[in-house]
Amino acid sequence: MAPPVTDRRDRFEQQLLPHLDAAHNLARWLTRNEADAQDVVQEAFLRAYRFFDGLRGEPRPWLLTIVRNACFTWLQRNRPAELAPIDEEIIDENAHSPEALAARSLDRRMLNEAIAALPAQFREVLVLRELEDLSYKDIARIADIPIGTVMSRLARARRLLTDSMRVISSAAPLQVQE
Amino acid sequence: MNLDETRLLQAYVDGELDPASAVALEARLAQNARLRSACERLRETSAAVRANADYHAAPAAFAARLRAALPDEPKAPAPRAWRWPALGWLAPVSALGTAFALGAGVAITFIGPAEGELVAREVIASHVRATLADRLIDVASSDQHTVKPWLSARLPFSPSVADYSGEGFPLVGARLEYVAGKPVAVLVYKRRRHTIDLFAWPGGDPAGAPEERFGFNVERFSAGGLQYWAVSDLNRKELEDFVRLAERRP
Repeated sequence: MAPPVTDRRDRFEQQLLPHLDAAHNLARWLTRNEADAQDVVQEAFLRAYRFFDGLRGEPRPWLLTIVRNACFTWLQRNRPAELAPIDEEIIDENAHSPEALAARSLDRRMLNEAIAALPAQFREVLVLRELEDLSYKDIARIADIPIGTVMSRLARARRLLTDSMRVISSAAPLQVQE
Repeated sequence: MNLDETRLLQAYVDGELDPASAVALEARLAQNARLRSACERLRETSAAVRANADYHAAPAAFAARLRAALPDEPKAPAPRAWRWPALGWLAPVSALGTAFALGAGVAITFIGPAEGELVAREVIASHVRATLADRLIDVASSDQHTVKPWLSARLPFSPSVADYSGEGFPLVGARLEYVAGKPVAVLVYKRRRHTIDLFAWPGGDPAGAPEERFGFNVERFSAGGLQYWAVSDLNRKELEDFVRLAERRP
């Protein structure tokens, strides 16, 4: 028996509104702008509402898939330069000098700027992994890429972050002396 | 270190390796200082991002606007407890068919959701309402000696209250709720940006409680004549860690 129509909206709110923060966080990190994030999330929620009957399994990855696609459509339309092809090559850690990571002593603002400066394709896997605590499998589903690509993008994202933090921290003492 | 090693190490740090591979990798880590320091670097980067990256929660005004923007569905009359969905369809069929439908109807009435399932829905609904309305906490305190007397003064029972800050689950406060037809205590804990609601009220373990509903994890246990229900959008493993902690040291 199909549930009564009146339940649909209640079920939608009960299952999906709890994940509004996750949706907003992803959109905010991908559009890098509050007003645009809200537009994209609202559009994604209306879309989710329309296709709600097709929801199988967990609501959070399902919703984030829709939000992610809305974000990339928005980027394509408004910031096409941000979707330039990225270097997918995984980094060989051998090329990595074993200095201590500067991230420990880093400034919060600088780290946030470094994440915002990552290519969108790297930023999305990093945000989904570190801020939403999603598994490789869920991230692969949301970003529509193979798990191997999730792993290499995540490795690249982390490596780029580490490198930019090292540059910032080695530049920092100079700024103090000025 | 080759490329496969980089991936392997990362999967290990992210908790994505199967137990057998993890054990094998740990044995290699114990012997290989270079691998160990690479592992340490990965952990540090991950921890730095988790601790310092901004989490952009949706502003309350936006959440309200979004709810208002959802299309309204026509409100049908409230559904009855159970129906005869097949009856109209069966009308032209024989009396035997009708008797069969009757039997099915009776079976459905008796099978109904288990008590644990109903309670789980109520505690999740309470958790969601509190999160949405930002009304998680009636008494905000990380001090168990403030929270416990506050609850005891308002409830006919006194749940034990503990802070697990040392283990990464700080107590942030408590609230009162009405679940399963009675007033209950809710202790509120944090884990990073996740909220854990720990419900407590007198009674034993109900049967048939689910572990997961609507994307929320649910755990329960009983101690000292009270039943406890933990609800959170935290991952299952960490919620289990929390419950083990609460069970051992309620």
